[in-house]
Amino acid sequence: MELRVIDKEETELAIEIAGEDHTFMNVLKGALLETEGVTAATYDVNPEQSGGQTEPVLTIKTETDVDALDALEDGADRVIEKTEGLQDAYEAAV
Amino acid sequence: MEDYEVQFVDRSERSARFVVRPITPAFANGIRRAMIADVPTFSIDTVRFIENSSVMFDEQIGLRLGLVPLTTPPGEFERGDEVTLSLDVEGPETAYSGDLVSSDELVQPADENIPIIDLKEEQRLELEADAVLDVGKEHAKHQGGVAVSYRHLQAVEVVGDAGEFDDEEPEILRGVIEEQAADAAVETGGYEPENGQLVPTEAFEHDLTNRYPGKDVEVTDIDGAFVFDVETDGSFSVDELVVEAIGTIEDRATELKESIQL
Repeated sequence: MELRVIDKEETELAIEIAGEDHTFMNVLKGALLETEGVTAATYDVNPEQSGGQTEPVLTIKTETDVDALDALEDGADRVIEKTEGLQDAYEAAV
Repeated sequence: MEDYEVQFVDRSERSARFVVRPITPAFANGIRRAMIADVPTFSIDTVRFIENSSVMFDEQIGLRLGLVPLTTPPGEFERGDEVTLSLDVEGPETAYSGDLVSSDELVQPADENIPIIDLKEEQRLELEADAVLDVGKEHAKHQGGVAVSYRHLQAVEVVGDAGEFDDEEPEILRGVIEEQAADAAVETGGYEPENGQLVPTEAFEHDLTNRYPGKDVEVTDIDGAFVFDVETDGSFSVDELVVEAIGTIEDRATELKESIQL
C-alpha cells in the first residue's frame, strides 16, 4: 500500500492508495461515511482515460473543526472495529 | 468494537451458509471479494518433467497440475513460499492427484481422486513440481473460495387468504427466510413454525404455498441481514477462509493507519 497525497486542505483530502481495489476501497468508503465529522467520502478507481491514472483515489470532506487526515485515520479504525467484531461473532457462532 | 450476530443455517468442512447482521452491503461485498481473491492458497506453478511419454504435452499436464487444490493451513506460510512435490506413475495406470508426493506434510492434495492423465502400456509420467503460495487475484488457480455469494435474508408476510377459487399456482422463492408468520405456517422439512427461526427454502421445496397453504404472502428483504453461501476448494475449511478473509481487510486497514501516522 503506497500512499500519495494529491490535495490536502484542512477539511479536504484527496489521496491515492496504490495497490488497492474495490475490495478495500469500498469498505473504507462505507466506514468513512459512518464516521463522525465526515461530510463526504468517495473513491474512484480511474479508468485509463484519465491520463493513465489507474490507482484508486480517495476523496474526503469533513466538517470545519475536523482535520481530513484525522478523519481518514478514524475511518481506518472503524474498519478495524468491524473486522474484529465480525471475526469474534463468527468464532462465537462456530 | 462493532457487534454482529452470526447464525449458521448449514455448516460442514467445505461449505456453509450463515446469516450475518447487522452488516452493510459495502462490508458484505468486501468480505465476499476478499474470500475469492485475497486469501492465498498453494498451487503448482512450475513443473520440471523428467519423463513424459504420455499422449499430452508437458504444458497441458502442467495446467492440470496447477488446478489441483493443495491444503494450505493459514498462518504457517507467507506469500511466495514454495513447496516441492513429485509424481511418478507408469502405465497402464491413471495418474491421480493422490499420487503426488509432497515434501511438506502440511501441503497435500486436498482430494486424492482427481485424474491427471490416463497412461497406457509403455507410457510414463515422472516430474517434480514447485507449488507457490499466492492469491486468487494473481491467478484463479489460487482461489480458495470457489463459490462465495451472499443475498438478503427474507421475511414472509401473510397479507390475507388466497381466494377460494384461485388457481393453485406455486410461489417460488430461493434463499433463506426468517419465520415471521408462524401462525399461518405449517411444519415443512423438519422446520416447526416458530417466529424468528431461519428456514432455508429447500425445507418447503422453494414453494411458499407449501409453507403457508391457502394464504396470500408478500416477501420482503430484511435490511442489514445477509445470508452468505461459502464453499471452498478444500485448501482450508470454510471457517478458516472466512476468518482469513476478514483478516486481510483488517490488515489493510492497519497498514493504512500506520502509513498515515508516519
